[in-house]
Amino acid sequence: MKQFGTILKFELKGYLKNKVFVGITLFLVIAIAVAMFIPNIASLFKSEDGEADAADIPVMLVYAEDSELSALVKQYFDEAFSEYKVKVADGTVEEVKKQITSGSAECAFVMDGADSYTYYVNNLSMYDSNTEIANTVLQEVYRVTAMVQYGMTPEQADNIMSAQIESYTTTLGKDQMQNFFYTYIMIFALYMVILLYGQMVATNVATEKSSRAMEVLVTSAKPTSMMFGKVLASCLAGLIQLVAVFGSALVFYNINKSAWGDNMIIESIFNIPVTLFVYMLVFFILGFLMYAFMFGAIGSTASKLEDINTSVMPVTFLFIIAFIVVMASMASGNIDNTVMKVCSYVPFTSPMAMFTRICMSTVAPYEIAASIAILVGTTVGVGLIAAKIYRVGVLLYGTTPKIGSIIKTVWKA
Amino acid sequence: MILELKNIDKSFGEKQVLKGVSFTAESGKAFGLLGRNGAGKTTTIRILMNVFPANGGEVLVDGKPIDYNKIGFGYLPEERGLYPKKLIIDQLVYFAELKGVAHRDAVKAVDYWLERLGMSEYRNKRLDTLSKGNQQKIQLITALAHDPQIVILDEPFSGLDPVNAMLLKDVVKEQIAKGKIVLFSSHQMSYIEEFCDSIAIINAGKVVLHGDLHDIKRNYVRDRLVVNTTKPEQIQTDFGSACTVTDNGSLLIQLASPDYKKTAMKRLVENYDIDEVKVFEPSLNDIFVEYAGEQV
Repeated sequence: MKQFGTILKFELKGYLKNKVFVGITLFLVIAIAVAMFIPNIASLFKSEDGEADAADIPVMLVYAEDSELSALVKQYFDEAFSEYKVKVADGTVEEVKKQITSGSAECAFVMDGADSYTYYVNNLSMYDSNTEIANTVLQEVYRVTAMVQYGMTPEQADNIMSAQIESYTTTLGKDQMQNFFYTYIMIFALYMVILLYGQMVATNVATEKSSRAMEVLVTSAKPTSMMFGKVLASCLAGLIQLVAVFGSALVFYNINKSAWGDNMIIESIFNIPVTLFVYMLVFFILGFLMYAFMFGAIGSTASKLEDINTSVMPVTFLFIIAFIVVMASMASGNIDNTVMKVCSYVPFTSPMAMFTRICMSTVAPYEIAASIAILVGTTVGVGLIAAKIYRVGVLLYGTTPKIGSIIKTVWKA
Repeated sequence: MILELKNIDKSFGEKQVLKGVSFTAESGKAFGLLGRNGAGKTTTIRILMNVFPANGGEVLVDGKPIDYNKIGFGYLPEERGLYPKKLIIDQLVYFAELKGVAHRDAVKAVDYWLERLGMSEYRNKRLDTLSKGNQQKIQLITALAHDPQIVILDEPFSGLDPVNAMLLKDVVKEQIAKGKIVLFSSHQMSYIEEFCDSIAIINAGKVVLHGDLHDIKRNYVRDRLVVNTTKPEQIQTDFGSACTVTDNGSLLIQLASPDYKKTAMKRLVENYDIDEVKVFEPSLNDIFVEYAGEQV
């Protein structure tokens, strides 16, 4: 136990003294700070240019042979397209086109009749929804005109058209929309941190092996102490980094809280419920440890530092598959599909899958307990096997040992 | 304390590397483990250090199976290497702490050894800024700082300049005087000859010679004469194939039996112009070549 503490301290100090580690953490903190100050910075610019903006409002032209129609359409469009300055165009269609290509107007609706038009625009943006809005508006205009023709007063027609259906939604389980963002962030953070730190653990072990410090180490310390000390140190380093990044995010958010106003995404991220936060920590730590053990064991079997990248491939793939399954399910909105249910018990996918289900769906407590129990058992088991592989692997120099021979030796050890 | 290896067997796959290796080493004495490259020295040491288990045989301390938690080992492996990117003081203290030394004592011990080996100026430097010989001295500290009962040095002199070799010799003598078991492995015979009270020669996984170095030398067959002369020609013709010339120009005369020693000496002194004649005393080198030279 004392040895474990010594190793943990030494390895953790190694991370915290590492210039790259410190540099990346600082960079992330600064990036977060800048991101959090964005609304303040943006409002600073806005207040200065506020008045000049009026001239920049784009012009939308409405053209019809029938001047009554064009006046009616303009009246409705004024309401519907508040971001445009709607004008009735005179002259010919050709002149309207010219105004658009020259840039004095952005777009134009040339009415062929009350139920047909041509939309002219210079560059059609990917998100241009003007025609959809126009269709709705024109449909209304058409219907109101028709109703009036059939003998209703314009007021009656308007009342019918503007009738609203009232609806209320009460969420009894989870609001997927609201939980989506921090689930997304957590899954992504888990993915990044495990891959980055896993690689670091593997490289760390392989470096000791290639620098031959190993022979002194294995004769000085127990392999379980070595493995657990190293992996826990990397886990702590990872947590310290995350706390630094998310902690500073929280601090800077609070400083700029008023500027963010009621931005739903940001608010939902910072108002994560305590229980979910605890689950996040549990799944994060367990998932991290399990994968880090695997990466460490692999690092010990690599004969050269250069081999690490290819050696860790199977574990990386396993992890990426888990990530894709979870991400795909999240995107589809169908969180409780069969694959996700299975994945939330398989320890290699459960840290992401179960957490996602807890956040975005309703999961019975015994299911969560079962998933965590399986994960804890597997993590400890993987740790012990990793320590054995480490013990055997670190002294195999030269050719990369075959998987079969490793299993045989580990079995015997 | 008596350290004893009994019938150690070890195979790697199909290849049997050690075939019943046995020897004993005592406190306050240095023990030399000799052998050619690939004879099994390092494998023997690794089994002794519990780096990997033997397939058969046992390691005993005072007749009982060794308890690695109680017996302190200091080990200078043949494959040298520590953490190249870390500060020397940090890693030396770390290794001492791993061996169970409290932090404060570890710092003290490391500082003592840095001073003793003339390395204090490198205390706060990174290991990879040092020369190979100096790195080796640093590594020696990992074997000694925790004051172990058994010190195992695998090829400790390789790569050291004569001044550092002297320093190491003094340190080793000091350790022996402190009543520790010092176990050397080397194929540099002169050093072994200088320190070691007893030796074991391993050849192809077997101990081919084991015992007290003085006894071994004394029991060596005294059937050769060394002759120093300025006129070797006559002797060479008279003794024919029994007479050979050594590297330093002396003549070496092989007798049919040690019993003829006296007669042959008398004959040489009376009949030839001779500066010196004496019985050939083998050096450890000669003994080694004789025992380890034969391929099995």
